[in-house]
Amino acid sequence: MDVKKVSIGSGSLMWGDIIEPGLEMIEKADIDYICYDWLAEVTMSVLYIQKTKNKDAGYPPRFIEWMKKVLPLAKQKGVKIVTNAGGANVEGACSALKEALNANNISGVKIGSILGDDITSDINNFRKEGIKFTNIDTGEEDIDRIKDSIVGAYVYLGAEGIVECLEGGADIVIGGRLADNALYVGPWIHEFGWDHNNSQHIDKIGAAITCGHIIECSCCCTGGMMCSQWDKVPEPWNVGYPIAELYENGDAVITKTPDTGGIVNSWTVKEHLLYEVHDPKNYIMPDGIADFTTLKLEDAGHDVVKVSNMSGKKRPDKLKVGIGYTDGWKQELQHWFCWPDALKKAKHCEYILKEWLKRQKINLEKIEIDYMGFNMAHLSLVKIPDIDGAKDLPEVGIRICAKFKTKEEAEYFREHAMIWSAPQAGYVFNTTTAPAKPVPIIKLWPTLVPRDAIHIKTDIKEV
Amino acid sequence: MGKKIKLVDICYARAGDKGDISNIGLIAKTTEYYDIIKSKVTPEKVKDFFGDIVKGKVEVYPLDNLESLEIVMYGALDGGATGSLRIDGTGKPLATALLRMEIEA
Repeated sequence: MDVKKVSIGSGSLMWGDIIEPGLEMIEKADIDYICYDWLAEVTMSVLYIQKTKNKDAGYPPRFIEWMKKVLPLAKQKGVKIVTNAGGANVEGACSALKEALNANNISGVKIGSILGDDITSDINNFRKEGIKFTNIDTGEEDIDRIKDSIVGAYVYLGAEGIVECLEGGADIVIGGRLADNALYVGPWIHEFGWDHNNSQHIDKIGAAITCGHIIECSCCCTGGMMCSQWDKVPEPWNVGYPIAELYENGDAVITKTPDTGGIVNSWTVKEHLLYEVHDPKNYIMPDGIADFTTLKLEDAGHDVVKVSNMSGKKRPDKLKVGIGYTDGWKQELQHWFCWPDALKKAKHCEYILKEWLKRQKINLEKIEIDYMGFNMAHLSLVKIPDIDGAKDLPEVGIRICAKFKTKEEAEYFREHAMIWSAPQAGYVFNTTTAPAKPVPIIKLWPTLVPRDAIHIKTDIKEV
Repeated sequence: MGKKIKLVDICYARAGDKGDISNIGLIAKTTEYYDIIKSKVTPEKVKDFFGDIVKGKVEVYPLDNLESLEIVMYGALDGGATGSLRIDGTGKPLATALLRMEIEA
């Protein structure tokens, strides 16, 4: 007897991903769903700031441009779409999508939306009810210290809203901070009728979480980002995006769009299984806790990996919350110096900068000074050579990033950069890149909220 | 005293971030190398190796089925991706930085 399988592809891993591999997958591969993850901690901060400035903003407009091309093809091929590109403004994203589809004479599309992840305006009420929002990384017990500088608070939602929308016949489901992983688990739970509270389904949902984790970063498991075989990837300019075929019995096959570049083997899958995981026996997601230590990977053909013996535990009672709060401004500067004595000149630049800072009234909170080409990536693990031993280095760059309380202080700092950058003969004047402007620092306060306290709302509108 | 081995010769590594936590997947190139890293790459050794870069605790979890270690480092990202002053606040280069570490095998 054939075991039912449902195939889901990954169309993007973040805002900065590219549209073509997803289109090619819908065109060529036999998939049921394609999921577009557009969010990350940094992205959420940016979107919440945008929404603070303009209540209609807060989602990536580029996503709407994408959907004008993706939706007609997906509809024709019978492929459904699930995404978290609603960002900090799901309603805004849905209205923009409707408008765009109308303007392009695309009709017959059911758009499902999920609200309830944005709890920014509920924080005070939750606190009155006794929820403290303890920082799960640092252990700091109460958000009192940051309560006046919060820009946004969002809950990582699981599959429920997605399942509701799909049951309602949605062709595309748009949420805000749906956990990346839930984009995948949602359709599988919907298709197989799995229940979070049925003990027979816990390992299967664990398998769905594991498969979602493997493919949710698009090309990262198909040769687009590798640490083991990066120089052996076929056609790295044309990497096919991944597909997970999950069977109703909880086994799966990982593959990619046929006739594309890239590579899928047990190494590429293993690499991504380990990405952004803490305790691998307890990979906690809103829909369950997957255990990555029981599964077995098997190379089962060209660009085909079989995953079996996946397992999991019941979903947690609490959901993760990200609270973004403002914490000053940062200003980055980069200066380059050339032969002769390039390193000596860069060091002289640092010396002048530090002497200048001592004589200013601006309140420098923190500064990072790196030597580009030496320790910008590996920091204090790399020793900067002695000047005498590095006389003939052709070029050396210095990167300075300073943190101030106010934007004005950061701007003042930037405006005085010629004092430390220009005195050394051999300063390379950059005429192509505008100097970076001050950037607001939005720090993340990771915390938890009881699942019962969060209420989602779904809606379906047809265009 | 055994001979010294640099992790770059026996492992691959991949780093990700969550808040101010950096997590590194350390993948042994062979089963023999996995046995070595499983016993030699300890939380104390990793913490000591990174010095001022990692402010908090370090945890190491073995995955025998994948012949890999998951290394979790708290306070490792200068405040986290959104607040860090480092060029890469997500700490992706910390994976290859770990490959500089030497162990005795």
